[in-house]
Amino acid sequence: MKLSVIMPVYNRERYVVAALRSLIRQRDAADLDIIVIDDGSTDGSAQAVRAMMDEASCIRLFRQENMGVTRARNSGLSRLKPETELVSFLDSDDISPAGRFAADLDLFRRDPSLELTYSRMMLVDRIDDETLEPTRDSTSITVRGIHLSAAIFSRRLVDRIGAFDEDFVQAEDTDFLLRSFEVGPRCALPDTLALYYRRHAGNMTRQQDVQSREFMRAIYKSMKRRRANPSLKPIEGIFELKKLADWQFM
Amino acid sequence: MPLSDVYAVASRDIVFESFDGEAVVLDLSNGKYFGFSDSGSKVWQALSSGVGTEALIRSAAGRIDAAAIEAFITQLVEFGLLAPSSATPLPSFDDLPAALAAASEPLHVSVHDDLADLIIVDPIHEVEEPLGWPAVKQVS
Repeated sequence: MKLSVIMPVYNRERYVVAALRSLIRQRDAADLDIIVIDDGSTDGSAQAVRAMMDEASCIRLFRQENMGVTRARNSGLSRLKPETELVSFLDSDDISPAGRFAADLDLFRRDPSLELTYSRMMLVDRIDDETLEPTRDSTSITVRGIHLSAAIFSRRLVDRIGAFDEDFVQAEDTDFLLRSFEVGPRCALPDTLALYYRRHAGNMTRQQDVQSREFMRAIYKSMKRRRANPSLKPIEGIFELKKLADWQFM
Repeated sequence: MPLSDVYAVASRDIVFESFDGEAVVLDLSNGKYFGFSDSGSKVWQALSSGVGTEALIRSAAGRIDAAAIEAFITQLVEFGLLAPSSATPLPSFDDLPAALAAASEPLHVSVHDDLADLIIVDPIHEVEEPLGWPAVKQVS
């Protein structure tokens, strides 16, 4: 099955190669198409990606002026090939665990009407960039959180949901996921580990003030959509984050 | 329940924002979120800013019954969003009468709990930097 993975990159020279390797090692599981959108990086990110392209022809690199992650994700969506059947995302500082795509693609093969898989993610503070696995001394926790990489979307669903909402500075991913669940897609919640979410000082999610307003905007917009269109569904029973409530990361 | 002269947001777990003039309120302690009608948004903004109950009722005179406002306040207190305050009541906003006149919906607040897991944990809680993220406030 043709799987396109969209990866926006902005100044992630340090991590992007590991992120791409984590995808390329899964080439056997899918007809893989990696769409890298370099969002005006000023470091060596684009060169690092280009160097990978020599060994992996499934990577397509597009460069644009810096426009922010939301527009970069939309650039990625606009580059989907007509034959793309499944769509997923990986941020340029995260890692796709070995076997992640094989596990969930099997569900799509078995059920042609499946529109979405939404799997689990591990938050982890140390990843070995050689093995692409958490180090032995790492601290981690696994949840069904809110992250685009937890999802594999059918092309049909992506076409139905439309683009990322460019009003958002952040939480565009939350908004996109809420919109996806609201339409009531045929969805599976596998126990697949879909993502190693790397925790480090530069994570964009640390900008707390903007983040919380944008998160609330996503919730506001979801309420408003559902009020205007009662056929949309509440988003129940998807997220399993309670474990985090009595856990501190470091 | 007799009304208080003035109210305040009930706790630090109650966070709110306004988008396009519409209020959205989250209760981080239980993950519930609240949506308001247009008139409800205006009244929430006034009450959560410390506008006095009497001043609010006067501002709304001829547009919303005092009884409806009292019932609305009672509901907000029951939901745990507002609590009686000992602060000095503030005068109403100058533009509140016009805003309420322009509103087309009756006072209403809707409560939702379908995103509770998400709201309790991620990502609104204050982060103490040395602890990193996610650092969720411990239940005391």
